[in-house]
Amino acid sequence: MLVRRTFLLIFVFAFCMTVHDVRLASAGDEWQSINPEELKMTSEPQAPGAPAIILYRQVDRDDSDVRRAHEYNYIRKKIFTEEGRKFADVEIPLVKGKWDIQNIKARTIKPDGSIVNFDGKIYEKEIIKARGLKYLAKTFTLSDVQPGSIIEYHYMIDFAEYLVFDSNWVLSDDLFSKRSKFTLKPYGEWALQWSWPNGLPEGAKPPVNENKLIHMEAQDIPAFQAEDDMPPEAAMKYRVDFVYSEDGFEKEQEKFWKRQGKKMNEAAENFVNKRKAMEQAVAEIVAPSDSPDVKLQKIYARVQKIRNTSYELEKTEQEQKRAKEKEINNVEDVWKRGLGDGYQVTWVFLGLARAAGFDAAPVRIATRDDHFFKPNMMRTKDLNTNVVLVKLNGKDTYFDPGAAFTPFGLLPWSETNTSGLKLDKDGGTWVTTTLPESSVSQILRKADLNLVSDGSLEGKLTVTFTGLEAQWRRVGEHNEDEAHRKKLLEDYVKEIIPAGSEAELTNKPDWASSAPALVAEYTLKVPGWVSGAGKRALFPVGLFSGPEKHMYEHSTRVHPLYFRYPFEKTDDVRIELPLGWQVGSLPQAVNNDAKVMAYSLKVENNKGSLHLERHLRSDLTILEQKYYGALRNFYQSVSSGDDQQIVLQPIGASGGN
Amino acid sequence: MTNKSYCNRLGPLVEIKRARRGIYLAGLFFFLLVRIPAARCADAPQWMHIAANGALPAHDEKTNAVLLYSEDILSVQSNGKIKKVERRVYKILRPDGREYGTFHANFDAETKINNIHGWCIPSQGKDYEVKEKDAIETALLGVQNGELMTDLKSKILTIPAADPGNVIGYEIEQELRPYVMQDVWAFQRAEVPVREAHYSLQLPPGWEYKTVWLNHPEVPPSGGGGQWQWAVSDVTAIKPEGGMPPWQSVAGFMVISLFGNASGRVNGFQDWKAMGIWENGLANGRREVSPEIKKKTAEITATGATTLAKMRALAEFMQKDIRYVAIQLGIGGWQPHPAPEIFLHKYGDCKDKATLLSTMLSEIGVESYYLNINTERGTITPATPATRWFNHVVLAIRLPNDLNDASLHMVITYPKLGRLLIFDPTDEFTPFGNLRGELQESYALLVTPDGGELIKVPQLPAATNGVVRAAKLVLTSTGTLSGDFVEQRNGDYGTQQRASLKSVTKDADRVKFIETMVSHSLSAFQITKASSSNLNQIDQPFGYQYSLVAQNYAKTAGNLLLVRPRILGSNSSDLLEKKEPRLYPVEFDGPERNADTIEITLPAGYEVDDLPPPVNADYSFASYHSKTEVSGNVLRYTRAFEVKELSVPVSKMEDLKKLYRIIANDERNTAVLKPAGH
Repeated sequence: MLVRRTFLLIFVFAFCMTVHDVRLASAGDEWQSINPEELKMTSEPQAPGAPAIILYRQVDRDDSDVRRAHEYNYIRKKIFTEEGRKFADVEIPLVKGKWDIQNIKARTIKPDGSIVNFDGKIYEKEIIKARGLKYLAKTFTLSDVQPGSIIEYHYMIDFAEYLVFDSNWVLSDDLFSKRSKFTLKPYGEWALQWSWPNGLPEGAKPPVNENKLIHMEAQDIPAFQAEDDMPPEAAMKYRVDFVYSEDGFEKEQEKFWKRQGKKMNEAAENFVNKRKAMEQAVAEIVAPSDSPDVKLQKIYARVQKIRNTSYELEKTEQEQKRAKEKEINNVEDVWKRGLGDGYQVTWVFLGLARAAGFDAAPVRIATRDDHFFKPNMMRTKDLNTNVVLVKLNGKDTYFDPGAAFTPFGLLPWSETNTSGLKLDKDGGTWVTTTLPESSVSQILRKADLNLVSDGSLEGKLTVTFTGLEAQWRRVGEHNEDEAHRKKLLEDYVKEIIPAGSEAELTNKPDWASSAPALVAEYTLKVPGWVSGAGKRALFPVGLFSGPEKHMYEHSTRVHPLYFRYPFEKTDDVRIELPLGWQVGSLPQAVNNDAKVMAYSLKVENNKGSLHLERHLRSDLTILEQKYYGALRNFYQSVSSGDDQQIVLQPIGASGGN
Repeated sequence: MTNKSYCNRLGPLVEIKRARRGIYLAGLFFFLLVRIPAARCADAPQWMHIAANGALPAHDEKTNAVLLYSEDILSVQSNGKIKKVERRVYKILRPDGREYGTFHANFDAETKINNIHGWCIPSQGKDYEVKEKDAIETALLGVQNGELMTDLKSKILTIPAADPGNVIGYEIEQELRPYVMQDVWAFQRAEVPVREAHYSLQLPPGWEYKTVWLNHPEVPPSGGGGQWQWAVSDVTAIKPEGGMPPWQSVAGFMVISLFGNASGRVNGFQDWKAMGIWENGLANGRREVSPEIKKKTAEITATGATTLAKMRALAEFMQKDIRYVAIQLGIGGWQPHPAPEIFLHKYGDCKDKATLLSTMLSEIGVESYYLNINTERGTITPATPATRWFNHVVLAIRLPNDLNDASLHMVITYPKLGRLLIFDPTDEFTPFGNLRGELQESYALLVTPDGGELIKVPQLPAATNGVVRAAKLVLTSTGTLSGDFVEQRNGDYGTQQRASLKSVTKDADRVKFIETMVSHSLSAFQITKASSSNLNQIDQPFGYQYSLVAQNYAKTAGNLLLVRPRILGSNSSDLLEKKEPRLYPVEFDGPERNADTIEITLPAGYEVDDLPPPVNADYSFASYHSKTEVSGNVLRYTRAFEVKELSVPVSKMEDLKKLYRIIANDERNTAVLKPAGH
């Protein structure tokens, strides 16, 4: 029996589930009976203000007969407001030749209980058509939909013969769901495993397998709402994932990872095991007299010079054919050809480090940019990238030279503070990658300025980005030209100064290396920075406070807060006052140390020369929602500190203070 | 000729949806484009090689690409079918220029793509070629404003190696059967200088043409005897600027109208009257009343004692109960659906809503006419030839002679029909009698049974739009400011808030709009109370009432207390704070008048030592006045900002820049308080 499962289909399915608002509903009576209470509803107490809610949703998938796999979908929504009427526009995706949408039935139930059956046209909209692929959407809109109406529709997805693939129930929706019911009749020839990586909605019981039917029900699932600085959506939405396997599943987590670890170790070692070639290569890179630190740095730097194809623009097939790039099978291939993808480049580093005598091990880790790794999910693909663990001067240090522009000793943010499997022939051991301290990733802004008589500031500014602050900027600009990079850096200055400013980049920053620092030098003019107050003039101290001006505007928060890496911002600003002016008063120093966050500000006057020092530190990566208020208060205090003013007055004038 | 985006509701709200859709599409397109199978290598055509060898047009270091060669060939057959060939050759100069390597051709039921080819001449190595079979096809690029269905599709091709230093080009051959025999040659580009652009026209015997040039000196054609050619060279790029006029009013165009015997098609429009006749013909029979419409009209207007009350009731029905849904297939992009059909489904697009309202108004004895308009002011001017550059339809309602009411602001007097009230039934939030700013001071085509005429939609008084804010506040000696604000948001300012508030998905989020607004002016604050008024009563001004506490609002400096009396809101802009000189006028969204009255009770034991100076800035286009006074222990700050002219020419740009700086300074100005008696 031929059963096709392809990556492409998984992609297609993922696309459909992600993009479209429509959710897939069991055969039986064509329509569920109408509850008079639902007709009378004007709001849902658990979703106050919602424009609409899902009253009932049903998804019944039947993979049991691979010649006739199908999925019945039923959805009923209550419309509360005019805005909610948009849910009367329905779009159901399909992939021609892979699955079709059949028997669409829809109706509107007016608040008085009268029914308007849908008898309009169902359009077939072409989303994308390319060679061998045709993505379409069946689309229709219900008639006479008003606030108070109930709309409902149901349809059948008929899958092509012998098409069975991994599926999921996405429980979270943009709308509050009153009642949901899901079933799956699996294909019996394969093992099926299911999991709910982000938990289940409050009160929902886990899926149950009874008589070869997996089913679950859920009530009162909150609407999913996206927020700034939240963890990845994939880590937050309730869902149940189903995975088929022809080989069966390991039930014990430890055994599973041991087996997978062995496989991954074998693959890594087979790729790296070119000892002689690596020894020859390392002899060209290091000198016997080099200290271990220097040796490893030289190897790291050399490996980063290998052409890293992961960072090149994706080539069209024509370009790939013309390039005639042969398959790479091991570290020797990479070394000889001088090119490889990021994954391969990192393994070259492993090979060279070992050849140089270092205790180095391959590690497979899970990046934390898309979801959070949970070993109990037992999904090998979650360990989606590789790093190398080297014992350097007795200390475990992680390296990923295949991640371009990453300074020696650092990992890109998505690879920090995350779980990984340090591989060995016995399957490996779990490790957690390091999280760099805030002092590693800094933005230092040093300015020497003059306050001129029209109230403008003029002078020089140097901005130094270190660690991950430099790394992500270099990655973002690696395929851009000098003009683009110049604009990026000049725009940065305009963003951090909370007033109109003119910044001109005067140096050529080092964009090509992985040096720990990226330095930008400017001439700077900030017109009208000083404002008048009768006989006095006022000078705001927060010259580079733009990004902190509007942080966390709202008093409420739903999700936890998530940050990429700890960082620091340090400002060192010296300002010469114009002749005839003196300092009337200085703001008081601020020192707000909230442990995981800190802010300090100090202003000194040295005979007509002002010295402003401002420091902001964040050690946060994730913060529970309950601490949102404290975080908001902290940033409000930062903003308040930055709003303080230096009072200037003409020499000889009485300031009254 | 295939653009059918004939409807535009509230632009900014819709744009958000489009942007979101674009994000996933971009990913999907990229996924597909890079997996397009290889076509065989073939040399680029001779015309492309010739163009590639020419000199580059003048450009600066920020130019991503230059258009070396552009050619449009239009061949008209005697039955009105058109064959059109489009050729382009670009040299990519910078990495961001790679985007020109992806191009698309639109088509619909009346347009067929016969051939589509793309080539790359790399700086080294053999040429690349891609063909139609490598293209991906989508209907989504033609969808604007979330239409449910359109038959407009696009073929998209990506040319390999569109890298800096390489030359890419393409050729598209199409067969067209346009509803109107008219073409537009758009030879000027945004951000891309053009070295040479050519347009060729071939007409069968007995056919004639007429051209009108816009934003470029007229160029005479060469040739004759049924074949004409036009050429322009060294056309500078248009550099987009914030707040600039619409594209059609700044870029060079040649509009070509064709006159012959195209079967089943309309000749190019000689004038606006001819276009009006065509539009009126499309709507012919579409406003016939059904028994159901009659019944509903009677029901809606039953309680209205006056004609105005009945008109208002029908307008409200159209705004609230007829849902916006656009289904634009074939001529449906231009022609409204029949009123009974719209009424049955209770949905339609802008021309449908105008059609149904017109039908219902007719039932109460009120005449009304379609008014075609563009939501970007300045797209149509008296210099524009009659062409379909409108993207929206509203209604001009003929007011009965005895109907005079102060609430009806947007009224024009049209010689042939008397007083006409202009009303947009698609706009859910602008009350009957008003019109939102983007449609004001704009040229529109009034469609009557006699044909059409271009009329000017007037500008409403500034006071119909803006924010009127009043606050009574108390300041403590520690710098804490607390008190109450009352805001009345008129016109578009009310519309924006109503639209935003209606889109929230939970009650708790309603206060976020106030929090966002306040956070732009105050660094530390808590909203202690908030409510809105007249959210659903659109004929009444929308309002916010809120109370707040702002810690450390006033800053201490020695024994002084520094207070910024402006508190909230900003009328300044950094739009003109650029190194480069301004090239185009600045267009305001609409007339507006914003006014603040802030009263701050000062802390006991303090007195005013210094006050900000009053500001009086008056220009022809706008004015700003502010004043800070002390009366007893109350600091009173008043200010007013008014936009009087909706377009500021380049010659007045320094004045506008100066005005913005004056306002910015005033908004930062501070009152200084000192201990009493010191």
